[in-house]
Amino acid sequence: MKRITTTMAAAAVTATALSVIDPAAALAGGVLRLDEVAVGELDPGKASDYADSILMFNVYDTLVLPKQGGPGHVSHLAESWESEGNSYTFKLRSDVKFQSGNPMTAEDVVFSLDRMKALGAGLSYLFAGVENAEALDEHTVRFNLKQPYAPFVASLVRLPIVDKKTVMANLGDGDGEMKDWGQAYLSANGAGTGAYKVTAHNPQEETVMEKNAGYFLGVADAAPDTVRLRYGLEAATVRTLIAQGEHDISSQWLPPEVIKALAAGGAQLLTESGTGAFYVKMNTTKAPMDDVHCRLAFSLAFDYEAAVKMIAVTDDISQGSAATGAIPVGMFGANSPDQILKRDLDAAKAHLAECKYKPEDFTLELSWIAEVPLEERFALLMQANFAELGVKSEIKKLPWALFAEQVSKPENTPHISQLFVNAVTGDPDTLLYGQYHSTTAGTWQSPEYLNDAEVDQYLEAGRTAADDAGRQAAYAALNKRLMEIAASVYGYDRQSVFAASNRVKVPAMSDPSKAFGLDGMGFSFRLMEMTE
Amino acid sequence: MSPVVRLLTKRLGTSLIVLVGVSMLIFAIARVIPGDPARIALGPNATPEQVENLRLALHLDRNIAVQYGYFIADLARGDLGVSLYTNRPVTTDIAQFLPATLELIIVAGIMMIGIGLPLGIVSARYRGRAADNLVRLVSLLGVSAPSFVWAVILMLLFAFFLPLFPIAGRISDSYTIAPVTGFLLVDTLVAGNFRAFSNAAWHIVLPAFALALSGIGQAARLTRANMVETYDKPFIEMARSYGFADRRIANRFAFRPSLIPSLTIIGLDFAAMLGNAFLVEAVFAWPGLSRYGVAVILRKDLNAIVGTVLIISATFLIMNIIVDLLIAFINPRIRYSQRPA
Repeated sequence: MKRITTTMAAAAVTATALSVIDPAAALAGGVLRLDEVAVGELDPGKASDYADSILMFNVYDTLVLPKQGGPGHVSHLAESWESEGNSYTFKLRSDVKFQSGNPMTAEDVVFSLDRMKALGAGLSYLFAGVENAEALDEHTVRFNLKQPYAPFVASLVRLPIVDKKTVMANLGDGDGEMKDWGQAYLSANGAGTGAYKVTAHNPQEETVMEKNAGYFLGVADAAPDTVRLRYGLEAATVRTLIAQGEHDISSQWLPPEVIKALAAGGAQLLTESGTGAFYVKMNTTKAPMDDVHCRLAFSLAFDYEAAVKMIAVTDDISQGSAATGAIPVGMFGANSPDQILKRDLDAAKAHLAECKYKPEDFTLELSWIAEVPLEERFALLMQANFAELGVKSEIKKLPWALFAEQVSKPENTPHISQLFVNAVTGDPDTLLYGQYHSTTAGTWQSPEYLNDAEVDQYLEAGRTAADDAGRQAAYAALNKRLMEIAASVYGYDRQSVFAASNRVKVPAMSDPSKAFGLDGMGFSFRLMEMTE
Repeated sequence: MSPVVRLLTKRLGTSLIVLVGVSMLIFAIARVIPGDPARIALGPNATPEQVENLRLALHLDRNIAVQYGYFIADLARGDLGVSLYTNRPVTTDIAQFLPATLELIIVAGIMMIGIGLPLGIVSARYRGRAADNLVRLVSLLGVSAPSFVWAVILMLLFAFFLPLFPIAGRISDSYTIAPVTGFLLVDTLVAGNFRAFSNAAWHIVLPAFALALSGIGQAARLTRANMVETYDKPFIEMARSYGFADRRIANRFAFRPSLIPSLTIIGLDFAAMLGNAFLVEAVFAWPGLSRYGVAVILRKDLNAIVGTVLIISATFLIMNIIVDLLIAFINPRIRYSQRPA
């Protein structure tokens, strides 16, 4: 017994000693540590999730960038661009080098597009309407589109430029001349011009990046020297790590109460908004949702104020703001922020009275995605809201995989589905076309099965308008129409909230005039500042 | 053929049959759970054409028997396919994640034996006294709460309130150790970096202890129960009458016959830790195979599910064989039973 006690005491003493000499405690000030949901896909041709986007925006560059603080785009790897008919010609900067030291040329741009289209993965569908790209000279490239597509420039924020020479020197096994298009290599290594180089990558554990000293725009001294992007940390672990000063920025997926606790402990809250919204989708092919009056009744009965309260993190910051319509504030066609949607039970009852179906004749199926527990709370909210109209409903939990399969057939699609939808390029086309155009019905984004000629017309006009004024007009009309026919309940405009230590400043996620309006781009490490 | 070789051959043969059965079962189960793997793998933004192309590439358009044929043909070449979750060969993923989990459960297993058995001996030797009651209480606590509860409690106590241990990962960021075996405790020694070794050792203490606690409790309780029974046997009385010291009686005469049931349970616990490690790995951000296994199941990553289950099954079977051999080594009656009639 005495020996055991002695051993335990010795272990405790050693523990204390070793914890004091732990080098992690004296971590260098220039290291930024953040986390995201696994996995981190490093191949830019396959990037689609949030972690992938963070990697892409830092290891690679694009021809244009979203303008900070407002709509529009500015040149980045391109010096300038012009469009004529269905062609867009970009003049490239001549001072850009890849991390390998190879100069960036028009050939690399053509290769990047060809590779993206050949892989057919990630967000490659954005370039389905591009016929081809051609290098006119070393620093001029032209994209030829199959048909007019106004959001094309916006799509280019998702075309990272890859070092052709490096990829060609590292082709893996595969058929044809291009073999695997460098997939094996690019899944483990970077080949971009970006401000950060990958030094280690494990898609489930961590990606380590370091400043690229040769970055064509230079990287400020205050920007993090090293970035450690960790994957798949549990909420309890992140909370402990941040509280102990061993982590700097959380993912947006922490439960609100954990973010709140961290904020109460002194953490700052960073936000990213303007690219997506929470939609309650109504299957317009099924009774009673095939009657517009019933849909309007449910839209008006939804308690928008309670929904926003449910996602509040602190008194000032919430994971969303009140919706003003089908399009989030800040995008083309959005209503002004003061036109928020409100519950109107009397109007709802009036519409229900005009609906050809009577409440006693149907029971609504309210589904929620099993992987998003928050949706269960919204399902309960709706059940209570609709009960006030005398409507019966049953709540149904659906795993994502099953949901995605069910919505492929209108008869299997629930009356109500809940979805968070984002514009992957920041442009309303990528937010709305997939949701509401009649040709895209039956995907996870479009369980409404909407078939409305007017909506289709405005969506096409938004794609083909010659200028921003034309696009604004088209999307404003679309917004109005979507409200009139109540294809969905437009729950709230989404805002991502991240808890962060005070040793890092992130202007793009704390100052609206510096915000990019594109998911993940706020994590441009070169624009961050380490204060310790 | 010696009895031990005969036993080993027999066990290897049955293990192979079990592995083939497991592969068929998991191959079928992975394909009947709801959800289209191609759709899940490509994410919500993929077009129907992209999904269809991937379905063709995975042979999902063929019947399940043909798909299994493709799988076996690939397996014969050591190819488990590409993970749709990490976009890497499944063998690469397993080679990367398995050592982390094995290292964790080996250390947990050592704790289970190194702490559980002595606690059982102490408890039996001081039967009915304070030490016995204390050990029984601690054992009960260990057995009654699952590993992940202990993981969170230990993290809160010894990493958050009393910051003695690290919270996450296998080693501090400041160390870069070239992988040789994938076992950091070994690789740090191979690199001759003893500070890194102690750092890695310090990182493994809490997760391994959380994982081992239930086994420690079980080993202590079982050892105690068996030893208490053994203490009533006549040969113990005889040892006492010969004047052997209490410690010698406990360690030499009472413990050895009591070890066999404990060893069987420890062996099973050891293998079961592969599955239980998931939540402990999640809490301590331990980049191991259990966490990978759950992630691939949730994403219906067919190749990775089958690969991971096969590896875990193989490890389970190997552990069972080792335990059988150990028991045969300890208990001569088992060795003799393998002799030809």
